Amino acid sequence: MTNYIIRRLLYLIPVVLGVGLIIFILFNVVAGDPAPLLLGKHATPQQVHELREQLGLNKPLYMQYFDVVRSSFTFDFGRSWATRQEIFEMIKIGAWPSLTLTIPAFFLSTVISILLALVVAFYRGKGIDLFIRFLCIAGMSISSVAYILFFQYFFAYKLGWFEISGYEPQFPDFFSYVALPGIIWIVLSLGPDVRFFRTVILDEIYQDYVRTARAKGLGEIKVLLKHVLRNAMIPIITYVVIQIPFLILGALLLESFFSIPGLGGITLNALNSSDFPVIKAMAVLSSIAYILFSLLTDILYTVADPRVKLK
Amino acid sequence: MLFATLLIQNSKGSDMESPLLSIKNLTVDFKTTDSEMRAVDNISFDVPMGKTVGIVGESGSGKSVTSLAVMRLLPQPPAHITGEILFQGKNLLGLPEDEMRKIRGNNISMIFQEPMTSLNPVFKTGAQVAETLMLHRGMDKKTAWEKTIDLFNEVGIPNPSQKVHAYPHEMSGGQKQRVMIAMAIACDPKLLICDEPTTALDVTIQKQVLELLAKLQQEHKMSMLFITHDLGVIADIADDVVVMYRSKMVEKDKTRSIFETSHHPYTKGLIACRPDLGANPKRLLTVSDFMDEEGKGLMVTRERIQVFEKDYAAKNSNEVLLEINDLHTHFPIKGGFLGRQVGEVKAVDGVSFKLQRGKTLGLVGESGCGKTTLGRSILRLVEPTSGQIIYNGQDITKLAAPDMRLLRRKMQIIFQDPYSSLNPRMTVGEILTEPLVVHGLGGSKREQLDAAKMLMEKVGMKANQLNRYPHEFSGGQRQRICIARALMLRPEFVICDESVSALDVSIQAQVLNLLLDLQEEFKLTYIFISHDLSVVNFIADEVGVMNKGKLVELDRADRIYKQPREDYTKTLLGAIPKGLPKNLESFINS
Amino acid sequence: MSSQDTRSLWADAFSRLVKDRWALISLLVVVTYALVALMATLGIGMPDWRSSLGIEYLAPSGEFWFGTDLFGRDVFAKVIHGTKIAMSVGLITSLIAIPIGVVIGALAGYFGGWVDDIISWFITTFSSIPNIMLLISITLIMGKGLLSVYLALGMTGWVGLARLIRGEVMKHKEREYVQAASALGGGHYRKLFVHILPNVTHLVIINTSLQFQTAIKSEVILSYLGLGVQGEPSWGTMIDDARMELARGVWWQLAGATLAMFIIVLAFNILGDALRDALDPKLKGK
Repeated sequence: MTNYIIRRLLYLIPVVLGVGLIIFILFNVVAGDPAPLLLGKHATPQQVHELREQLGLNKPLYMQYFDVVRSSFTFDFGRSWATRQEIFEMIKIGAWPSLTLTIPAFFLSTVISILLALVVAFYRGKGIDLFIRFLCIAGMSISSVAYILFFQYFFAYKLGWFEISGYEPQFPDFFSYVALPGIIWIVLSLGPDVRFFRTVILDEIYQDYVRTARAKGLGEIKVLLKHVLRNAMIPIITYVVIQIPFLILGALLLESFFSIPGLGGITLNALNSSDFPVIKAMAVLSSIAYILFSLLTDILYTVADPRVKLK
Repeated sequence: MLFATLLIQNSKGSDMESPLLSIKNLTVDFKTTDSEMRAVDNISFDVPMGKTVGIVGESGSGKSVTSLAVMRLLPQPPAHITGEILFQGKNLLGLPEDEMRKIRGNNISMIFQEPMTSLNPVFKTGAQVAETLMLHRGMDKKTAWEKTIDLFNEVGIPNPSQKVHAYPHEMSGGQKQRVMIAMAIACDPKLLICDEPTTALDVTIQKQVLELLAKLQQEHKMSMLFITHDLGVIADIADDVVVMYRSKMVEKDKTRSIFETSHHPYTKGLIACRPDLGANPKRLLTVSDFMDEEGKGLMVTRERIQVFEKDYAAKNSNEVLLEINDLHTHFPIKGGFLGRQVGEVKAVDGVSFKLQRGKTLGLVGESGCGKTTLGRSILRLVEPTSGQIIYNGQDITKLAAPDMRLLRRKMQIIFQDPYSSLNPRMTVGEILTEPLVVHGLGGSKREQLDAAKMLMEKVGMKANQLNRYPHEFSGGQRQRICIARALMLRPEFVICDESVSALDVSIQAQVLNLLLDLQEEFKLTYIFISHDLSVVNFIADEVGVMNKGKLVELDRADRIYKQPREDYTKTLLGAIPKGLPKNLESFINS
Repeated sequence: MSSQDTRSLWADAFSRLVKDRWALISLLVVVTYALVALMATLGIGMPDWRSSLGIEYLAPSGEFWFGTDLFGRDVFAKVIHGTKIAMSVGLITSLIAIPIGVVIGALAGYFGGWVDDIISWFITTFSSIPNIMLLISITLIMGKGLLSVYLALGMTGWVGLARLIRGEVMKHKEREYVQAASALGGGHYRKLFVHILPNVTHLVIINTSLQFQTAIKSEVILSYLGLGVQGEPSWGTMIDDARMELARGVWWQLAGATLAMFIIVLAFNILGDALRDALDPKLKGK
C-alpha cells in the first residue's frame, strides 16, 4: 500500500513534466512573442527588448522550459502580466468563491443523481424509467450557454428570485449569489450523471449474486439498496472523485456570467488578456490535483472493494 | 455409492405421504416484442418428502428454468408461467410477492452453479449467511453470527470462527460453494434446490460437496431437487430422475430404472454416449444411434450398438514425434516498490515425456495444475522458461520467429471455447482459408475455398455453409469449424485443449468420434488436455496425470485407470462419479 | 436454413437499428442536417443571411419563421448557416480525433510494455488538464476562428476513444480467436488489423456519434466566448447576441439557435444509444 502510494506520487513527476511540455509548446513555441501583444502596436524595439528580458523570453528555449517546470514544483508562478499580482495570491483569493459555488452544487447533484438512478433502476423498463431517461437525454441536448442565459433571465431578472450577478464572500451571504448558478450546475449535471449511474446499477442488477440475494427472500428494495448499490459504488466513486480536482478550478462559464470572482473567472480573464503565466499556473495546479485525486480514487477503491489490493 | 444406497433404503415406505412439491402442467414462455420461446413445455412431476429428485438434461432443455420457476425468480415479463407449483399444498404461482419472499431462503432455498459469482464480492461471507438468519429467524446480529459459525462448522469449513470474516475472493471455489450451502440450510428449509452445484468444481471437490449435500439432507430431513447435466452425479444422489429434452419432459422414473430400462430413445442415447471408466471402446455410441433428427426413436439392433474394444498395441511405432525434456514455464509475480519481480509461479515445473507418432497423449489434472500452460508452451504460444521441446528431432525452443512460423503448419491447436475461438466478424470461409493465406499456400482463392469445402464435409458440416458467420452455428458446429481450421494446413500434430469440455454430453460423443476418425485419416498425433478423466480414458492411448506443474504419473490409458500407482492419481480416480452400470442389452428393441 | 439468408454481425446490427423507430427518426434527422449543411456549403437553394430583408427585431411570423435580428436579417437563414458551421465542426473534428484515438489506443493496447507506458503517460498528461482550458488555450494561440476550433476540438477529442480502444484491444488480444491466429502463424499485422480492429470498430462508430455532438456543443461555447467563427453566424454567436436581446424581450434568436442545436444533439444522443444496443455484441441476447 505505502509502496503503491509512493510510486503513484513519483508518477507526478513525469506528468507534471508532460503538462509543462504541453504548456511550454503552446505558449512559448507556438504562440510566438507576447511582448508586442502586451505593449501594443506603438512600442519601440527598445521597450520590446526590455520586456522580453524581464519576462525571461530571450533565454534559450530549454531554459524557458526549465522555468516552466521549476515553477510547477516550487509553486512560484511569478506575477500576472495583466494585473501584476502574485499569481499564488490570486489563486488563494479566488479559491473561496469558486469552492462556495462548486462544492455544494457538486454534492447536491451527486446525491440527487444517485437517488434518481436508484428509482429509475427500480422501475427499469417501465414508463417512469423511459420518461426520466428521455428527460436526461433531452436535458443533455440543450447548450449549457442557453441554460445559463435563460435561467438568469427568467429566475433572476424576470421573477427576481435570485441575485442577477455579483458575490459576497461572507457566510451566509454568498448563498444568495451562488444559489442560481448552483442550480444551473445541478441541472446541467443531472443528465449525464443519472444516465451513468443507471447504467452502472443495471450492470450489477443482472449479476449472479443479486439472484442469490433474491433467493434468500430479500425484498427488491433491500436488494437494490444493500447488495446492488454497494457494488455499484465502486465505479461511482471513480466517476465522482475524479471530478473533484476540476471543482477547484471553478465553473468557467458560470462564474464569468454571474460575475463571481473565483478561479474560473480568473482563468477566463487570463485567457482573454493572453495572461500566459496565470494560464500556466492553473493548468499545472489542476493536473497536480488530478493526479492526487486519482490516487485518492485508488485508495477509496480498496475501501469499497475488498478484492482490490494496491501493490 | 455408499450414501446413494443409504438413501434408497431410507426412503422405503415413505411413498404414501403427499409430496412436498408437486409440479403440474408447468409451462414457461419467454415473450419479447419480437420473439417467443417456450422454455418449459407442460411438465409435471412430484418431489416426495425427504427424497431427492434429479432433473437431467442438456443445455437449453429447460431444467434450470424449471428450478427458477419454483423459486419464482424468473423476471415476469419476459417470462410467462402457467400451470401449478404446489408446495405443501399451496400453489406458489398464486402467492403474493411478499408471501413468496417469506418462503424463499426459509422453506425453499437454492444453490447455484457458479460459486465464484453467486456470492456478493463486497460483503464478508459470514455476513451473507447471517443476513438470511436475521431476515427469516428475526435473530439479532450477535446470535446470527454465532449461528453462522455453527453453520460454517456444519458444512465443513475449517476454522469457522475466522472464516466467517473472510470475503468470497479469499476462499477457494469449493469453500464458496460450502458457504452457499450454509446459507441455504440456515433456516432448515423443507426443500433444497441445487442447480448444477458441482459443475464448476474440480472432481475431487465435487465429490466432497455431493457427500456433504447427502449428509445434510439426511440430518435436516430435506427434500432435494437436483439439476445437472451429468448422469453420473444423478445416479449417485437422486432417488427419482426426470429427463428433459428440448423443454419437454421425456421420461421420469426411479434412478435405477432409468439406467437399466429407460424407454425414451433420448434417454437411452444419453446413457449410452457417456464415456465409461470401466470400458475402453473404440468408438462411442451417440444419441443419433437411438434417435433421428426429428426426435423419433430408431430401431436398435444388437449390431447397431455393438462396441469394439480398443487395441492399444495397434498404434505402436518406434518413431518419436515429440520429446519434452525438463520443460519449465514460470510466470513472474510483480510487486513491491516499482513493480520488481518478487517471485514466480511455476506453472510448468520440469515436465518430460515422449510421444510416438500417431498416438494420443491425454493430459489430465485439476484446474491450475498447469496442463493448459504446458500445451501452449509446447506450441510456444507461451514462451517456456527452460527445457527442450524436440519436435521431429529438432529443438524448437531455439527457433527464430520465421522458422517457428513455418513450423506452425505442422503443429496446431484446438481451443476450449467454441464461442471465443472464432472471429465473429469473419465468415467461415474466411476463417478456414486464413491458414492458407497466411502461409501463401493452396493456390488461387477458388482452390483455397475448395479445400475448405472438402474439410467442412470431413468434419460433418455442409460445404455450402462457407459464407455464414460463426454466430449462426451451435456450439458443437463451431467446434467442428475449429477442428477444420486446425486441419487446413494438414498438420501432423494437434493439441486439443479442453476441446470438448464446453459441449453437451451428446455433442461431446460425436466430436470425440470425429477426432478419432480424423486421426486415422490424416495420421494425426494428438495431445488431448482435459479435466475429465472419463473422456481422456476414452480418447487417449497414454495418459499423463498432472499436479502442481509436474507430471506425476504417465502410463498406458487402461493401466493408469486399473492400477494407478501414485496417491494423487488414486484420489482423482476415486472422486469420479461412477454412475450406475449401463445395460445396453435392454436398449435393444428389435 | 438456406445459405442465402446468411447475415454478418453488421447486417444483423443494421436490421436491429432500423427496427427501432426512434433510431430511424434520429438517423433521418442527422441525414437531413447533413444535407442542409452540404447544400449551404455548395450555396444551393439556401436562404440569404447576409442581407437585411426586414426591419430590426421582427417577431417570428409567416415571412420570417424565426424573426429578424438587430440588422433585420432573417434569423432562420442564420440558423441554417449555423447548421453548416456545426456540422462541419462535427465532421472535421471527428476526422482528426477518431484516427488519432484509434491508432494511439490500438498501439498501446496491442504492444503493451514500454509502448503502453509512454502512451499511457501521454493520455494521463492530456486528461489531467481540464478540457475547456486546453480548448480555449489552443484556439487563443492559434488565433480566433473556425480553423482553430477544428484543430482544438480535434486535438483534444481523441483521449476518451484512445483509452477505450486501448482497453478493448488488450482484452481481445487474449481472446482465443487471436491466439488461434498466432497458432496459425499469423503476424502482428494480421492479428491487429484483420482480427482485433474489426472487432472494436463498433466502438469507433458509437464514439463518432458522441464526438460529433460534443464537438457541436463545444463549438457553441467557443463561439459564444468569441473564440470561434468570426464574421458569420453560428449557433454560438447567435446565443451570444441573445445575451443583450433577452432583456428587450427578443427571445427568438436564442430559441432558434437552441432549438436547432437541441434537435441535432438529441438525434445524435438517441442514435448513439441505439447504435450501442445494436452493435455491442455483449448485449446480444440480453
